[in-house]
Amino acid sequence: MADSIEEVKKAKKLYMFIGLLLFFFTVITVMVASVEWLDFGGHGFDGVDATIGLIIAAFKASLVMFIFMHLNHERPLIYFLYGLGLVMAFFCIWLIGWSKSDPIQYGNSNRADGFYNPDKPATNVHGHD
Amino acid sequence: MSADSHDHHDDHHHVLPFWKKYLFSTDHKTIGIQYGLAAGAFLLFGFFLMIVMRWSIAYPHEPLPGYLSWIFTDGWKARWLDDGMVTGETYNMFGAMHGTIMVFLGVVPLGFAAFGNYVTPLQIGAPDMAFPRLNMASFWVYLAGGIVMCMSFFMESGAAKSGWTNYSPLAGYADRQIVNQFLAGQTQWLIGLVLLITSSLLGAVNFITTIIQLRAKGLTWMRLPFFVWAMLVTGFLLLLAFPPLEAAGIMQLMDRVTGSSFFMPSGLFSKEDGVLDISGSGSPLLFQHLFWFLGHPEVYVLLLPAIACVAEIIPCNTRKPLWGYKPMVWAVIVLGFLSFIVWAHHMYLTGMGPVISTFFQTTTVLISVPSVILLTSMIISLWGGSIRFTMPMIWAAAFLPMFGIGGLTGLPLAFNLADLHLHDTYYVIGHFHYVVAPGILFGLFAGVYHWYPKMTGRFMDNFLGHLHFWPSLICMNLLFFPMLTQGMAGFHRRWYNGGEGYIEKGAEGVNVFGITVAEQISLNEVMTGAAIALAIFQLPFLINMFVSYFWGKKVTSDNPWDATTLEWATPTPPGHGNFTFDIAVYRGPYEYSRPDHDEDFFPQWEEPKRSAPTEEPSEKPDKETTEA
Amino acid sequence: MEIPFVVNARKDTGLFNSKVGIWLFLASEVTLFGGLFSGYLFLRLYADYPWPERALPVLPGLINTFVLIGSSVTVVFAWAALKMREWRKFQIYMGITLACAAIFMVLKGIEYNAKFHHQAVQIEGPGPVQGKGILEGHVHYAEIVDGKLTEVKDKDRYHDEGVFPANRILIKASELTFVLKRPAHEAYVREILKQAGDDHEITLVEDYRVPNEDELHAGGKNRTQLLESEKALVAKSGSELSIDVLEDMEDAFLDARAHDKDIRTDFLAASWDWIRDEKGDDDLATYVVEKDIWKERRKEDAEKFGPLMLSAPGEVTFKVDPPLILVMKPGDIPKSSKEQIKLRDDTVVKGEVLPSPMIMGVDAIDFRHTAMRAEAEGIDPSKAIEQSWILTHTDSHGGNDLKKAWDCHMAWLRFQTERLEKKGRVPTDNDKYRVNWDEMIAYQKLDFIPDDVYKAASEDTLYHAGLFELKGFAGANHKEFDFPHVEIPRKNVGFESTFTPKWNTYYAIYFTITGLHGLHVIGGALVLGYYLFFGRKMYDSNPEWLANRVEIGGLFWHFVDLVWIFLFPILYLM
Repeated sequence: MADSIEEVKKAKKLYMFIGLLLFFFTVITVMVASVEWLDFGGHGFDGVDATIGLIIAAFKASLVMFIFMHLNHERPLIYFLYGLGLVMAFFCIWLIGWSKSDPIQYGNSNRADGFYNPDKPATNVHGHD
Repeated sequence: MSADSHDHHDDHHHVLPFWKKYLFSTDHKTIGIQYGLAAGAFLLFGFFLMIVMRWSIAYPHEPLPGYLSWIFTDGWKARWLDDGMVTGETYNMFGAMHGTIMVFLGVVPLGFAAFGNYVTPLQIGAPDMAFPRLNMASFWVYLAGGIVMCMSFFMESGAAKSGWTNYSPLAGYADRQIVNQFLAGQTQWLIGLVLLITSSLLGAVNFITTIIQLRAKGLTWMRLPFFVWAMLVTGFLLLLAFPPLEAAGIMQLMDRVTGSSFFMPSGLFSKEDGVLDISGSGSPLLFQHLFWFLGHPEVYVLLLPAIACVAEIIPCNTRKPLWGYKPMVWAVIVLGFLSFIVWAHHMYLTGMGPVISTFFQTTTVLISVPSVILLTSMIISLWGGSIRFTMPMIWAAAFLPMFGIGGLTGLPLAFNLADLHLHDTYYVIGHFHYVVAPGILFGLFAGVYHWYPKMTGRFMDNFLGHLHFWPSLICMNLLFFPMLTQGMAGFHRRWYNGGEGYIEKGAEGVNVFGITVAEQISLNEVMTGAAIALAIFQLPFLINMFVSYFWGKKVTSDNPWDATTLEWATPTPPGHGNFTFDIAVYRGPYEYSRPDHDEDFFPQWEEPKRSAPTEEPSEKPDKETTEA
Repeated sequence: MEIPFVVNARKDTGLFNSKVGIWLFLASEVTLFGGLFSGYLFLRLYADYPWPERALPVLPGLINTFVLIGSSVTVVFAWAALKMREWRKFQIYMGITLACAAIFMVLKGIEYNAKFHHQAVQIEGPGPVQGKGILEGHVHYAEIVDGKLTEVKDKDRYHDEGVFPANRILIKASELTFVLKRPAHEAYVREILKQAGDDHEITLVEDYRVPNEDELHAGGKNRTQLLESEKALVAKSGSELSIDVLEDMEDAFLDARAHDKDIRTDFLAASWDWIRDEKGDDDLATYVVEKDIWKERRKEDAEKFGPLMLSAPGEVTFKVDPPLILVMKPGDIPKSSKEQIKLRDDTVVKGEVLPSPMIMGVDAIDFRHTAMRAEAEGIDPSKAIEQSWILTHTDSHGGNDLKKAWDCHMAWLRFQTERLEKKGRVPTDNDKYRVNWDEMIAYQKLDFIPDDVYKAASEDTLYHAGLFELKGFAGANHKEFDFPHVEIPRKNVGFESTFTPKWNTYYAIYFTITGLHGLHVIGGALVLGYYLFFGRKMYDSNPEWLANRVEIGGLFWHFVDLVWIFLFPILYLM
């Protein structure tokens, strides 16, 4: 931990630099989304843009975690506790996502849980007005 | 500790005013007892709801008898009962609230919060929890959540009635006729739930921090009593599994209050309202995922405190070490981890793909391994012990086979194919009630009888204890075993009239096992009778708690059971700050019948007599003592 | 008693208590936002409508990102200042942090506010596919003149009494029937009374009478006499509608119902005792279902308890004189037929629904849903779009500005397609099927002449809102610009909403996540503010403790920043 006064003093420059880096990458993300010559993949938003955006976001987030939140020199216990949270959040996102993209499909399950069938719009099934 | 905070040390010994000592106390023991009493009250209430439901199942055309209906006002009866008979709507309401109350307001607070609060800091030799004021806050937030939920019984809409799982779109649509959505039972349920989750999160942070930071000198990880390990894992389950449900609760709250469609699919139509005024494109399946992401770890949140109590009581009363302490510790850690990735076995029937179902089936079967390690270790612990059949030991002994039945009946449900038949039948109800009622509750009863002398300085009465135990054991089995057979015959879990419609069908309704619903209907009356008898035989317990507090046999020492863990080193009952001397730990938690020691127990805190200068409390686990 | 390791670290873990606590809390926050993000992912991947990509104005989100990152730097500086025991610097840095929090919330407020006032409506009407197009814009205001909905042109009068947003449904009500079983009418009764004012009398049609319980049981009077008795009168005919009157009747009704049910319950219980004596205990359920002996007995019961019933009427009807034009939100009337209109709480309004068109200034036309549905059903999207009411109707001046705008859009699209083709790219669905607000302004300026639009586009002089367009800071600016004015007949108004969580799952998750994040910002600011304004005493006595606390608060603050780092691209740029 940056506990001694000298270390804290030294770290301040680093914090400033990281702050600027975060500003810079924010601008990059916005440019990827709005400037045409930085628009990777097809025209407009697509999977490539999403991937780039998320990678930049993940990079920025790790800068915040490792520098501002001192995860670059933290006690093992902290890594364990926080890591456990990340792992469980990953399970939550991954398995929930996976449950909808099963390689074996049946029924109408690729559309809003099978309740919706574009051939038969489910309106007014009781025949009332 | 800083020097100047030492100066204030004496301030804490002032006599506190009543409200500070008993109401807004920051003492973990008082808070534990508060939790226990509140949870007990909620358990009784949930039990009462269940008896009303069971009455409706067995006698759907008979008015509620006076001993059940006296509690309702005339106005309430006029609204919610049909000529004294339970209506389907009322049954749904009671069913949803029974589940909610038992799980969220009863068993979790009793097991984790009450026992955890009272015993954990004592067992690790801590003066209190790490954040005492946070501890108080979690209790009051919990109580607020419970009251918010239960008050909705008196609202115009009635309480929540979409099952304790609160599945959308039913839960999103129910009570739509209420113009101010905040005054609808279904909304109140969600608000209550968010409060309860907040309380649990605060509690979990507090418990884990306490166990990590406040262990006494020499209390290394492998010297922790199993109880503390179980509480630690339970804390992690609550901490990491509850937030997704909080997210789901907030989303459903948005669905109700702002009219959004998180969980409402496109094309919903109701007879009353026509095409619903919502955007659609939401996913009911998403709610189920987020619910069961908590829902399954929650099962272990219920279970682990009970196993923890039993694991403390068995070594103490068999006078020998817990068999396989280390495997049990690892088992409970693995169990905790695996419990996060088994949730979708509650959802086999939702039309998830077969591949993902197989994944969850595999993890579900895997999780039975650590569970079996836990149970088997405790059964083997009995082997060769000179068992003292004290009251807590009797309960603990009954826990083992009862929980065994509960666990084993769960196996068919883990398998995708078998579950297709058994899903949503009474078999499921029987399975998890075997786990929760004669399993977990027996474990917790054992805990009450075990630690009561420490809490009050008096033993609970043995005769009343037996009068509580034996009828409870019989009634529990009469109540829950028929559910298993009924379930296999195809009884659906939400029939408010107990499957009476099948009487006329008779033999037509025969299932693959050659069983019909009609021939099992008479079991309903047996079960209802058992439920009522079970309620009656809880009276000895309530009387016992009260009477023993004033007139029970006094304990003669601070360690009346001759136990080894640290809570028995405190004065009886422990004062504010718990320990009267600087506590240090010299050995593992279950040092019973050591051949090299005169007495048949060797407490963790007792300084070794021989070679005193060398055997300092060390920070490293002592191999010899932990594996003994 | 003293809790150890509050200030100093425990030797084996190297941590003080609150640091363990905050990291545990952050771990749980990770799963909280994990749950929300999995919700986002799930809803987006399986949405059955075109997900609104890049739908939000980026500038406020961008500024907020800068603000939060800046505050993250200053909060760590504040902690460093405390470590070096520089109180003054701590105050300055912490002050900046709090100011950043305030700026963040103000910008959020501006964004939210813009969405609360921005209306969208799905069009119903003829056409081969289910989606008929969406119009976005601001709802204009209207009032009732001579029993007809009339638009208010003067913007200063928008907040006058009797002026309402022109997306309401007008009902000419002559009678109101309340269901007494459901005693929660206050919300609507208040609204109705407010709208009735002094000009309309809403009075009870008939006496509400419930036989008096004592008189009934005393006997000697038949039902007519009982009802005529003075004690039976609960509310006189002609009494004016008020919550009190309604409550009196509700109470009387529920009391009577309780009384009746009580007696019936007793009879039912007695019958069960009887059949038990008669038939023993076996299989009684079958008697209820099929045996005549039970049905006979119950028939006798009914004859016996019949005269003992109070039988209070469950509905009361009020007459509205002269008929009142009620202005209701569409959501209040779930279902209506020709004669009977039901409010959400089952109150029946007798009368007729007046023509209640929706009047709005349209700033965007969106056919993406139409195109998506058409493609799914194998229909040419442009055919489906052509048949939409949006392009086929004629307004009161005989024209159709939306059609003109769409033609201009097609001209622009022609240019855009050609331009992109040169780069080997294709236009997006957004390009093809959506007229955005800045396009709408540009076309309007060119008098809706498609050729001019094409020319302007190729010369790059077409007005296009860039990132730093302040007039559209939080979306289309209806104060600065006038947009095509459209009157949509009620039968063509489908699902409609402002841009709130109700409109679609994108806005639902947007508001939920950013709302929760906003609560975190407020919570963090409160804690940090507490250290700033009330930390001096602790600083003097134990500066290290305060530094620890600020570190804890700072960790939380960084986490809030971290969440936003993901939220900004996900919600604003994707």
